[in-house]
Amino acid sequence: MFEPEVNPENIKKAAFVVAIPSYNEADSIAFPVQQADQGIQLFFSNMESVIINCDNNSNDDTKEVFLGIRTRTPKIYISTEPGIRGKGNNFRNLFKKVVDLHAKAVVVVDADLKSITPKWIRHLGEPLFQDFGYVVPLYVRHKYDGTITNSIAYPLIRSLYGRRVRQPIGGDFGFCGKLARTYFHSDTWSDGVANFGIDVWMTTLAMNENIPICQAFMGRPKIHRPKDPGSDLGPMFRQVVGTIFDMMIKFYPFWSQVKWSKPTAIFGFGLGETEMPPPVAVNDEILFRKFQGGFSTYGHIWETVLSKETVGKLREIREMDQERFDFPTHVWINVLIDFAVAYKDRLWSGDELLDSLVPLYLGKTLSYVKKTERMSIGQSEELIEEECIQFEASKGVLIQRWNEKPTE
Amino acid sequence: MTKLLVVDDEEHIRMLYSEELSEAGYEVITAADGYKLMERIDEERPDLVILDIKMAEYNGLDLLQEIRSKFYNLPVILCTAYDTFKEDIKSVAADFYVIKSFDLTELKKKIAMALEANIPSS
Repeated sequence: MFEPEVNPENIKKAAFVVAIPSYNEADSIAFPVQQADQGIQLFFSNMESVIINCDNNSNDDTKEVFLGIRTRTPKIYISTEPGIRGKGNNFRNLFKKVVDLHAKAVVVVDADLKSITPKWIRHLGEPLFQDFGYVVPLYVRHKYDGTITNSIAYPLIRSLYGRRVRQPIGGDFGFCGKLARTYFHSDTWSDGVANFGIDVWMTTLAMNENIPICQAFMGRPKIHRPKDPGSDLGPMFRQVVGTIFDMMIKFYPFWSQVKWSKPTAIFGFGLGETEMPPPVAVNDEILFRKFQGGFSTYGHIWETVLSKETVGKLREIREMDQERFDFPTHVWINVLIDFAVAYKDRLWSGDELLDSLVPLYLGKTLSYVKKTERMSIGQSEELIEEECIQFEASKGVLIQRWNEKPTE
Repeated sequence: MTKLLVVDDEEHIRMLYSEELSEAGYEVITAADGYKLMERIDEERPDLVILDIKMAEYNGLDLLQEIRSKFYNLPVILCTAYDTFKEDIKSVAADFYVIKSFDLTELKKKIAMALEANIPSS
């Protein structure tokens, strides 16, 4: 029988919440729950705390495993209705529960984390009891890990809203109770936000609410269940990028006033050694083939969305062989600007438009892989930094294009 | 007039920066090390700090953390002869990172950007 909530200790109030969203994580959820429990006992033992599993009504015993783990911290299980999936829907349940519990601070960690330590709970939670309302993780990631973050989310969010948050879609967060109420009552909810768009939505709303943001240094890299390389990139890409574009429409009055960017406060340096991330393999051949394939599948969309100059540049790039492949940053910036404007003007349906951006993103990814193949992680970070400055310098072009009347 | 604080243990660098940045229209004050730097910032209220990373008795990256905890919005540009410090993740707390050079074009550009940066209240 479906139970939307199981609260064995009948907890009605908690100052500190650690939440773990899940769908079919029976084989992995025990470890982050145990680490969260230890983190709470070590660093937050002076306050009423609870661990919440917000689940999508998993059919693999996630609920039973979660509730069966022995912890000193009380636990609550909450679930979406049967058939309702999506990480964002889990968060929506969480926001309501957090408001009901009158929580002051909430830390969220993924259910499949293998590298989490009790310190992660401290680093994501402690700033919320100081001056900060939103905490994002700062991990050292392999240069080929998080390419949507590197090519789109980080540079766009940074240049739009002026805050340098290196992992705006990191998956693990801390937020204050006040922000949970803002999230719960926000009128910007969408299908994308209900799924993978939730992370970037939370970060963007925090920035637009002028919530003090802090990056928490995690020491260890994020290691979680490896993603199936054959899995479809489309839904996640659509939800993340679509949410960024939706937020651009909503928050134009704010971001159009932002100039350049400022660094964000960092919590947790000096609290441990930095551990290097494991290598990530990339298949250049597939990236190249998918970029080339985009011309026949989506060329008709690109010609209506992109400027003639950009279409011309793409044709030049198409002529390059795989070994010398290069997708210049300024062309990529112009692509993103034109796609954001086309999304606003509804030149195509959102899904069609975003799907047509995928091959171009894969081309940009291949170019990044080529440029950084002999670079250290630090050197590739420097390259991303330089690209971000180009994004910020193009803000005037974006604003001009944004305000042009759409052509019939 | 916009006031810049240059913190560097090399005298010729302090002189070079003072001269060139004054000519560029800034008021420049200097410090030879990190001794009582927070008190100095509190008293002088500079609009921006140019901070050497590797000084004889002080680590610029540690000083940066201290500045960030006390003067959260004060722009800081890290300036060093050594490219390798960019690899240290602590350097992300700076507004910019510039390699020392006798040609101050890059530094002047980054000073202008850091001073122009604006995030309005929502």
